[in-house]
Amino acid sequence: MTYTQEIQNKARELLGGGQVEVVIGYEVGPRGRTRPAFVYDPQDVERLVWNQACTHNLTTYLNDHLKPKHPEKKQGANSEARRVAVVVKACDSRAINVLLAENRFERQQLHVIGVACEGILEDAGQAGNERSAHQLVTNDPPQYQARCRHCNERTPLVYDTLIGKPESHLGTGPNPARPDAYQRLQTMTPAERAEFWLSQFDRCIRCYACRQACPMCDCPTCLYERDDSLWVGMGIGLNEKRAFHLGRAFHLAGRCVGCNECERVCPMDIPISLLNRRLAQEVEAAFGHRAGIAPVPAPFVTVLSNPGG
Amino acid sequence: MYEPRIIGFLCTWCSYTGADTAGIARLKYPANLRAVRVPCSGRVSPELIMRTFDQGADGVLVLGCHIGECHYDTGNHRTAKRLPVLQALMTFAGLEPERLRLDWVSASEGERFARIVNEFTEAVRALGPCQWRQPANGRRHLDLRAASLETSLPERGGQP
Repeated sequence: MTYTQEIQNKARELLGGGQVEVVIGYEVGPRGRTRPAFVYDPQDVERLVWNQACTHNLTTYLNDHLKPKHPEKKQGANSEARRVAVVVKACDSRAINVLLAENRFERQQLHVIGVACEGILEDAGQAGNERSAHQLVTNDPPQYQARCRHCNERTPLVYDTLIGKPESHLGTGPNPARPDAYQRLQTMTPAERAEFWLSQFDRCIRCYACRQACPMCDCPTCLYERDDSLWVGMGIGLNEKRAFHLGRAFHLAGRCVGCNECERVCPMDIPISLLNRRLAQEVEAAFGHRAGIAPVPAPFVTVLSNPGG
Repeated sequence: MYEPRIIGFLCTWCSYTGADTAGIARLKYPANLRAVRVPCSGRVSPELIMRTFDQGADGVLVLGCHIGECHYDTGNHRTAKRLPVLQALMTFAGLEPERLRLDWVSASEGERFARIVNEFTEAVRALGPCQWRQPANGRRHLDLRAASLETSLPERGGQP
């Protein structure tokens, strides 16, 4: 049985039994582009698919689908708790741990369909015809995404149903054809790094796509989109744009699980993941914390464990 | 002669009083420091520090109570965790790490306050004017070096 069939069977079972109100998964749209799908009806489960373009981090939609429909009506605990099922890859499942640690919802509200992912292709999220055109021109075999080449966790950390067999890890290592910008940036002088980042941030149009795609970016009103905020500006000057990107990265420190969706959705191709990667490295070095490995809060909301040292 | 502009965020319970103590003891410290009194060093959010640099500061000094002496118990724990990480992030974005310093000064440590301000001012003076601030509404012309880094398609992502 293929992954797609297994996911469909599980979704049919969950929806038919009334265990969940919606299954969040992937479908292929009319132009051949794999996109998120919300299946409410057991008859629609045929829409669900699994392929190597399932790049989206579907945990982004959990907060919206799990928060109480009528928060003003305080009823008995959990009597009205909504339940959803979500399809996750190993990397996405770490986001669930972060959200659980932040008490966004209860674990019981969630049925996690974990997929032992075999790697996502770099051109995922594009329309099917675009992809084939690209391959016609370049004749390249499709490449795995950078995150997949470094990945060695094929089994989701959180799941109720596991699809596929977790076998050897993907980890093909970095692409030798492309030098790693992260390492190169580290060896530059501060002035050169500033020049690099300013030329990147200059392109930002503040469309907030990075924020929308992020499962952790869930403030009701974003600090960077307030017109009455004293310390950050909504403007499109370079100072404000840099403050937005650095500030957003900082808010994700110790929380970002590195799904790189922010970077994939960026219409201006800003390498946001480099910032996230730097912070993840720093947080791991300073606090021994990796986001989403266990449902524990980020180190910035707790006290020093060893005040002397 | 170049005089650095330094903004100091001083916790009102310890460091701000420590600055007073330094004044009462007639200790000399550079006049480059503009002191901003904050209720706790934990109030100094990363946005505040970035804003300060955006507005043209050459250095930012954050002074709080020693760990364990916070008026709010754990306010300075937050600062102690945040600031080094912010420093790493801003360094990655092109700031010299020496321009941001976090230290602890208690109310009685006037001498320590003066010494820290002296040290920090000299360190920032040695670095020269800060290039962090960008002119408002000014679009940048691409530096060739940065442009080449871009066009060579850096491999991104792949967080370990």
